[in-house]
Amino acid sequence: MANNDTSHIRNFSIVAHIDHGKSTISDRILELTHTVERRDLASQMLDSMEIERERGITIKSNAVRVVYTADNGEDYQFNLIDTPGHVDFTYEVSRSLAACEGAVLVVDATQGVEAQTVSNASLAMNANLDIVPAINKIDLPSAHPDEVKAEIEEDLAIPADDAVLVSGKTGEGIHDLLESIVYLVSPPKGDANAPLKALILDSYFDEYRGVVATVRVFDGVMRAGKSMRMMALGDTFLCDGVGVKRPLETPLDELGVGEVGYVVTGLKDPALVKTGDTITLVDDPCAEPCPGYHEAKPMVFTGLFPIDNKQYENLRDALEKLKVNDPSLTWDPETSVALGFGFRVGFLGLLHMEVVKERLEREFNLDLIATSPSVNYHVFKTDGSMIEITSPQDMPEVTRIDHIEEPYLKAKVIVPPEFMGAVMQLAIDHRGITQDMVYLSEKSVEMHFDMPLAELILDFFDQLKSRTKGYASLDYELSDYRSSDLVKLDILLSGDEVDALSFIVHKDKAYELARRLCDKLKEIIPRQQFEVPIQGAIGNKIISRSTVKAHRKDVLAKCYGGDISRKRKLLEKQKEGKKRMKSIGSVEVPQEAFLAVLKVDDDK
Amino acid sequence: MPAAGEVALWSDHSLDRSVGALYVHVPFCKSKCAYCDFSSRATSADDPLLAEYARAIEAQLEAFADVGLLDRSDTAYVGGGTPSRLGPALPPLVETIRRLCSPSELSCEANPESLDGALARSLARAGASRISLGVQSTCDVELRALGRAHDAAEALAAVSRARDAGLTVSCDLMCATPEQTDESWDRSVSDVIAAGADHVSVYPLAIEEGTAFGRRFGDDAQPWNDEDVQARRMKIAREILASCGFARYEVASYARPGCRCAHNIAYWTGVPYLGVGTAAAGMLTRRGYERLRLACPQLPDAPGGVVRIRLTVRSDARQIAGDPRTEALLFDGEFLSEEQAAAEDLMLGARLVDGVSPALLGHARDVFGPSRLDDTLESVLGSGLAVLEDGRLRPTESGWLLGNELYGSLWSLSSGEVTSFSA
Repeated sequence: MANNDTSHIRNFSIVAHIDHGKSTISDRILELTHTVERRDLASQMLDSMEIERERGITIKSNAVRVVYTADNGEDYQFNLIDTPGHVDFTYEVSRSLAACEGAVLVVDATQGVEAQTVSNASLAMNANLDIVPAINKIDLPSAHPDEVKAEIEEDLAIPADDAVLVSGKTGEGIHDLLESIVYLVSPPKGDANAPLKALILDSYFDEYRGVVATVRVFDGVMRAGKSMRMMALGDTFLCDGVGVKRPLETPLDELGVGEVGYVVTGLKDPALVKTGDTITLVDDPCAEPCPGYHEAKPMVFTGLFPIDNKQYENLRDALEKLKVNDPSLTWDPETSVALGFGFRVGFLGLLHMEVVKERLEREFNLDLIATSPSVNYHVFKTDGSMIEITSPQDMPEVTRIDHIEEPYLKAKVIVPPEFMGAVMQLAIDHRGITQDMVYLSEKSVEMHFDMPLAELILDFFDQLKSRTKGYASLDYELSDYRSSDLVKLDILLSGDEVDALSFIVHKDKAYELARRLCDKLKEIIPRQQFEVPIQGAIGNKIISRSTVKAHRKDVLAKCYGGDISRKRKLLEKQKEGKKRMKSIGSVEVPQEAFLAVLKVDDDK
Repeated sequence: MPAAGEVALWSDHSLDRSVGALYVHVPFCKSKCAYCDFSSRATSADDPLLAEYARAIEAQLEAFADVGLLDRSDTAYVGGGTPSRLGPALPPLVETIRRLCSPSELSCEANPESLDGALARSLARAGASRISLGVQSTCDVELRALGRAHDAAEALAAVSRARDAGLTVSCDLMCATPEQTDESWDRSVSDVIAAGADHVSVYPLAIEEGTAFGRRFGDDAQPWNDEDVQARRMKIAREILASCGFARYEVASYARPGCRCAHNIAYWTGVPYLGVGTAAAGMLTRRGYERLRLACPQLPDAPGGVVRIRLTVRSDARQIAGDPRTEALLFDGEFLSEEQAAAEDLMLGARLVDGVSPALLGHARDVFGPSRLDDTLESVLGSGLAVLEDGRLRPTESGWLLGNELYGSLWSLSSGEVTSFSA
């Protein structure tokens, strides 16, 4: 009989508003449990990717095990699970939280409850986690922990009498926090003697060992040498080893019931290992997989084109390298008259797109143009056939289209009641239909909308955050396809259509968008030696126009002895600037012009 | 050897000359103007540093003359800052230059507030032939907005004083400045002509980093500095000056017959020049550089393949006054290859009405190869930025206005990065 005792295991994550001290508290926990010595602490130990650290966001999930000797003299196994922090990765977050029984909710003693405190607490409560409130930065003179406690109780309906007072900076109270985790977070439940059932939280690729998955064992025991199966995708593998991160990988003989760790699959194709899938034994499978699995499908598609067409092959290689650790990436070759050869790339959301584009440019030294994001449309033709398109360029001629369907989603927004009006207006602006709303407490309302995905991907999330001062949290899932009156808006520069600037939009919004897009492009495209008319058109009909005036003068007039080196450097800079632009016909167009549609609201 | 005031033809033999022009920098002003990014600082008229600096520069000039660098300097130019801020210490410095170089043209910059009749006369006696006056505007509101230390009446009086002393007078005017209108600009240009200027330089205000304007306006577009405004004002100036007998000979320079500034032309025609004093810039051939190293052994060897060396003095006024030895000077420099030097000369020649000479085009053809040069020529001719006339490549009106396009195309002929060094 396997050991069924999970009473000394605690699985939890730490959630907080940005800058409330999640990372320093994580660091102190690693330090106090002697997992990492202070001198070895790179700040933000858990966020390993450069872009993650720079942007202060977490993209990959991560799990670290520490051993804590409690005041009662017994050793506890803590699995600290770090979760991604953006709506693009909602699914990944939900899977990580599914692996936890508890969450430490960190609130800044000087700032109190803030927007992400509310949205993160909602996510944790929805996942039925035991919440351990911790009030951080009590070392600061402006700390007012009693008021913060009251806010936690009133705003979040979380009992805060026993909230732990801590300072990530001095380490004060961290010991009390660890004790609270022992007493407030439930131990995992599960049957060690039942067939293996382990949830995949995340995975990464290792050149020598193949795909390594981070897992939580719900039932049974995971041991090396056993044949295992992915229940959703069906692939089998021979388990090459299991272990835990502390934070360096430490191999173990087994991962027992309730434990979190990694498993070496030996699989060479990252696409076979999906977050949310369940691992079981081939010989003795469990009856039901862990609930909640669905394949993370790309939602947003954009064209990625190298400015220099000679970099096309490099771009393909770079995408393949990134996919190894980011299996949700998909792409197909795309050709544009204006931009040449590139790829239509599918992403989980806009942030995902930005991060991938930035990594491609930075890590692979590519200069890229991204075109306007699109969703997957179903175009029903007059001949009765249906095609799926993810690029405006593939839109058939108007006369051949019977109707077009677009993906809709069900969106759930949790927000303090004072912002309800603002959120409803925002939803209406984005073609959303309010379904219902429920008061969760005096301080928060849950609102449900049906909304086209295309509206969500543009700027909905940013607008939602700004119009609710950051208090709203958003969760959504795709629901169905619905018929919509959609048109393809074309942009002409100097009278020539530029395919890479086309955009699919609802007919009622086309005129307004065309006008704003023409104005925005006029700002973005620099003056040229000649006048450049910019026109918006649907089919043959011109619906908006603006003009980039001709360059009149760009000379730095004085150029005496001391100015010559400087002049030369200016010309060098001008040359570099031109390299970042794309010549379309005789017009030099900067990279950002192709994403202008994302910026038309900046000036509102 | 071209006569003073005529446009020198670029020619290969300028490469053999060690130094053809001398520049001396005086980094002192009464006050710092709001737009100014030249090396200068507000210095009290009775600060002993003024005279100490002037004496130190004279000592350095002697040292450079001793190694034969000044033997063939046809022109000399004392610029700033405000050289006239040196007051009585300026004429002896001019006298030293005259004695060491015997230049056919010796210019001195001055600001109206510090050029009285006595100073003008003693400069003329010491050997100065030209005065370049920083007038900028004859509208008091504009002058105040620029942070100038003089008013319009003082500026016009200074023009008369310089003329009365027998000096050729050049006036600098600045357009697209705060408070300026087309009408006030018209009046400024007309006023300096009426006051007797022989030469006028007009240039649009540039908002530079590190200046008061740079801090106040940053990168935000200012309507008064808009490029359309700049283009229009430059056109207004051209029309008025042309109607009064001033011929344009460079992007921003207009002169009555015989009054072109030979020193500035030297900059644009590949003539080597020596820069002396804080922040002064020099451009030397290998031969000139080797001579300079006799006086400044701290300078590094020029690597093989280098045909041109650009230098800027990094020592500040106090360092120079405190230790005038040329061995103690600090420099920043650049080494240019034959391609880079030729591309620079093409780019600078394209600023001139007379354009790039057949001799320079021939040299460029040798350096870059016929196909590379012809491709570039074809592109600048095709885009209407320049024309070929009598074997000369001359800028068109659009080549004047869109100068950076034209110069950029020509500079792009060169390959590789310019190597910089500090010593």
